[in-house]
Amino acid sequence: MKLSTKSSTSSAQAEEVDTSMYSKLRVAMKDPFFWSNWIVVVAFILVVVVFGAIKPHSFLTMYNLNNVLVASSIPAIIAVGQTFAVTTAGIDLSVSSTMTLGAVVFGLTFTNGWPLWGSAVAGTIAGFLCGVLNGAIIAKRKISDFIVTLGMLSVAAGFALVFSDGRPRQIVSTQLSTLAIGGFGQVPYLMIIALSIAIAAHFFLFNTRFGTHILATGGDPDVARSMGVNIDLVKIVVYAISGTLAGFAAMLTISRIGAAEPAANTSILLNSVAAVVLGGVSLFGGRGTIFGPFVATLLLQALTNGLTVVGVAAYYQYVSIGLVVILSAALVRTK
Amino acid sequence: MKKNNRFLTVGISVVAASALVLAGASTSNAAAKKLTTIRIAAVVKGLDNPYFISVKAGIVDTAKSLGVTANVQAAPGLNDDIGQANKLDALAGQNYDCYIVIPISSNNLSQGLGKVTKKGKPIINIDSPVDPASLKAAGGKITSFAGTDNTAAGKAGGQSMVKLIGSGKKIALIAGLAGNVTSNARIDGFKAGAAGSTFVGPVNADWDTTKALDAANQMLVADPDIAGFFAANDQMAQGIAKAVAAAGKKIPVYGVDGIMDNLNLIKAGSVTASVSQYPYVMGKMGVEACVVLAQGGKVPAWTVTPHKVIDASNIDAALKTKNNLPPGGYTDPYAALIKK
Repeated sequence: MKLSTKSSTSSAQAEEVDTSMYSKLRVAMKDPFFWSNWIVVVAFILVVVVFGAIKPHSFLTMYNLNNVLVASSIPAIIAVGQTFAVTTAGIDLSVSSTMTLGAVVFGLTFTNGWPLWGSAVAGTIAGFLCGVLNGAIIAKRKISDFIVTLGMLSVAAGFALVFSDGRPRQIVSTQLSTLAIGGFGQVPYLMIIALSIAIAAHFFLFNTRFGTHILATGGDPDVARSMGVNIDLVKIVVYAISGTLAGFAAMLTISRIGAAEPAANTSILLNSVAAVVLGGVSLFGGRGTIFGPFVATLLLQALTNGLTVVGVAAYYQYVSIGLVVILSAALVRTK
Repeated sequence: MKKNNRFLTVGISVVAASALVLAGASTSNAAAKKLTTIRIAAVVKGLDNPYFISVKAGIVDTAKSLGVTANVQAAPGLNDDIGQANKLDALAGQNYDCYIVIPISSNNLSQGLGKVTKKGKPIINIDSPVDPASLKAAGGKITSFAGTDNTAAGKAGGQSMVKLIGSGKKIALIAGLAGNVTSNARIDGFKAGAAGSTFVGPVNADWDTTKALDAANQMLVADPDIAGFFAANDQMAQGIAKAVAAAGKKIPVYGVDGIMDNLNLIKAGSVTASVSQYPYVMGKMGVEACVVLAQGGKVPAWTVTPHKVIDASNIDAALKTKNNLPPGGYTDPYAALIKK
């Protein structure tokens, strides 16, 4: 199938008769998709090397790299969800307020005496419901993804305010704060969670029949439909995944800031879209990667962290981050 | 890491780093610390708000005039609580002598502050207080707090308005975000200061100019005999002033904060008064407190920064001061403690 070779350069490489590393690499470098897959890795290494050279004893410390991993975990989970939506040529603009709603539901249930796991499930279900609603409206009413999720952005933010009465709920739980601060060796728990989600998502997208249906729907919905793919179901599932991950990530946010806040944090939305584009996922659908957006999230967080450590004034940080996003996207597109 | 520092660092940072190692071992040695070797990190709220730009200016100017180094970082947006926490985390690992913080919410910086305290570095909290319970849970400790007494500021506004319109009148109240501690303190303070009046509201307009405009319109329709408006911040007061003007009324509008826009409107006469806070002074005091601590001195645990009702009577004096300082001066408990 055309789509599967498109989405995986490694299979194309495997077919090469010439086995020498050098010519393999040359062939790979001529493949435009090689670049869209790896440019983000190159950029990430570049960022680490540059900041490492400027501030070796503050940027390249275990402590600081740990910070980058912690800071990347939550945006990475959201970016994985966003990848599913974008792979079907959609976009989920509601992630930030879905996350807020998940946090509020978590906060309300927890402060009403629910156990931690119960609140976590409740928050995740709230996100799942937002996602299913997004997907169902997009699929059944044939309204553009952009409009439906933009509407949900406001609806979910509104319900978060309604349920919470605009008040933050303080969440005091040693288990939750251990989750945020602790780690397995040098790898923070939050990153382990994010990594597990990414691996599961990669497997789901590339190694299951439904994953192929998702890629096919994004590639050409009419062809996919004629081949018997249930397009409506695909749409509902991808938005359900995005919503569920946002609802789940809400709990991780609470673990970090110790409170369920009803205010939506829109930077998480911008971050996820930037990571998806940087990671080499086509905004026109059909070509997905989980690895790319994941590394792109690390790149964006390492960049913010590095600029802060070096002491670049806040205003210039916006400029530099925006430029990196545009530049990398431009590089990927022209190839 | 100590070893790496010695080999890798050159010039002044060797001096700074070894001074820090000494400071960590015993605080009394820190008294010898020169001003030029003192490094301060500050994490403030979003710089898309003029109030926090003033705080930043206070920090930067004071650091410059004392000859100390300050790295001022801000949250990427006013609501980006996690983004702000990430910034503090990034700075907490470095060898700064002291940290100045303004948390976005009362909890979001607590974990990062716990890390700072564990490294034995002092923290100066300005403007908005960090929640003590969450800070304690994270093992953090605030060395000194400098900020406005919001209840007292509200009260000053209430007293001033009653003086202007007389007692027993109907006053409309417009508050910030529902449940916000600062907003509640200002509104409660105002009610205490204007005791004897009847109150309409408070209606929550989320600190937003447009929302306050709409709210004020509705309140004026429902209660045409409103004799004055009090808003919990200046941006909302600006919206109210538009509604009052559109309704063809001449009733006083009070705000809180003393942002430059509003002072200009007071001068122009569309807003009546603002209980001014002095964010520049807060930034300045933050740096001064940090310097005192880095030199091994002691600072008061709690300092109330000044507030002043600015109206037609003193607006010219207020506009004349550089950086919007309180006309008539203020007491600064930290400045005298610095060893030059």
